[in-house]
Amino acid sequence: MAFLCKWCSSAGSDLAGVSRMEYPPNAVPITVMCSGSVSPLYIFNAFKRGADGVLVSGCHPGDCHYIKGNYYARRRIALVKKLLEFIGLEPQRFQMSWVSAAEGLKYTQIIKDFVKEIKPLGPQTKLRREK
Amino acid sequence: MVNPEELKNEAKKALKEGKVKYIIGYRKKPEESMATPAFIRRAEDSEILIWDPTCVHNLVRFLSDEKRRRKREKNPEQRPVGIVIKGCDSRAINVLLQEKFIAREDVYLIGISCEDNGVIDEKKLRKKLNGRKAKRVDFKEGQELIIETEEGKIFLPAKEILAERCLECKVNFPIVYDVLLGDKTKRKPEKEFASVEKFDSLSTSQKWDFWKNQLEKCIRCYACRSVCPMCYCDECVVDTISFAVSADTTAEEKANKIKWIEKSPVLSENIVYHMVRAIHLAGRCVDCGECERACPVNIPLRLLNNKMEKEAKELFGYEAGLDSQQPSLVACFRDEDPQDFIR
Repeated sequence: MAFLCKWCSSAGSDLAGVSRMEYPPNAVPITVMCSGSVSPLYIFNAFKRGADGVLVSGCHPGDCHYIKGNYYARRRIALVKKLLEFIGLEPQRFQMSWVSAAEGLKYTQIIKDFVKEIKPLGPQTKLRREK
Repeated sequence: MVNPEELKNEAKKALKEGKVKYIIGYRKKPEESMATPAFIRRAEDSEILIWDPTCVHNLVRFLSDEKRRRKREKNPEQRPVGIVIKGCDSRAINVLLQEKFIAREDVYLIGISCEDNGVIDEKKLRKKLNGRKAKRVDFKEGQELIIETEEGKIFLPAKEILAERCLECKVNFPIVYDVLLGDKTKRKPEKEFASVEKFDSLSTSQKWDFWKNQLEKCIRCYACRSVCPMCYCDECVVDTISFAVSADTTAEEKANKIKWIEKSPVLSENIVYHMVRAIHLAGRCVDCGECERACPVNIPLRLLNNKMEKEAKELFGYEAGLDSQQPSLVACFRDEDPQDFIR
């Protein structure tokens, strides 16, 4: 599950697409208006619904469309990451990245690395809701 | 050591002068060993107020009830509410002031310094007494406590039965108050975040096994939320009240209803509930330990909140409730905030 901000990361992933770059099909992109608008609840719920990994991606510091949204995100996501690790989730399963609209290549690399890192961990069952 | 008589006099004075609407303090029922909250409206009733190591409650919680009551009333009384606060409670007051939930003139703060002591942990006391019933617990000179049981008095070093949070306490005297009883003797905490650090050193699977066992117990009674001075939101994300299904709710509406957290007390929902609470209390929790005390199934909730407190301090140099003028933790940032975890 990849939460991509509309202005940078989503455009970055789009660039990767239109440039016909190859990357694993495992990421489900969800465009949000800003990485700062990603509530911790979204992340917890993605894991609860069975996501194997969650990526939050926003603009580089200083490039935020809303001036400082990604700075807020940086703080909040740091706390969420620490909390998830404290609860006992593998740290690789939750990551954050800065991807600008011009970094299609970086986006494919991040997804490749992410998938490579969480494949050996197997499916995420800890936080998943049992049916 | 604060003399309870001083507290009674202060309360009596404030009520007599009409400075306050009522006073929230502690009293002790003769049949119980621990103190209970007391609400006093008449000056002569202030005799029942007490101050001893069993005054564990964070009375700040009652201010959110008072605020709701004021909102409901047509002509609410504007006089402030008197409240007895310890060091940790004063930090809670500071956070509420910071969030503009209460105004400074709405409260009359009677601060009591814990000095070298603190409040006891009822569970530790019960364990120590081994079936005997404590009638009264009181401070003694030095770091000792007197416990009166039916079979006579017992003297115990305070360290043995003080609540864990008091042993890790950083603010042992009120930092915001109108009157202060006792001395502002700064005490160095014996071990700051000791339990969090110990837990942090465990492996991922050990951590998970621990929390799985703990959170599976949760019965979702929401006692932790009810007792928390910071949980004052009118609408909590775990309540489905705002999604009430009526006769004219369409199937589509039902299907598209966002349910972040289901009501059923199963592991996955419990984890999300407790994580949401921890995140919401990050930078706000003042470590009063009430959630853990109120928990009927003994989940170590303080550990979770402590972790957030520790990270806020270490990553962002932020401590809750020390200054009512600072912006809140997630509503501010610094350019040098750590970002080594970001790719």
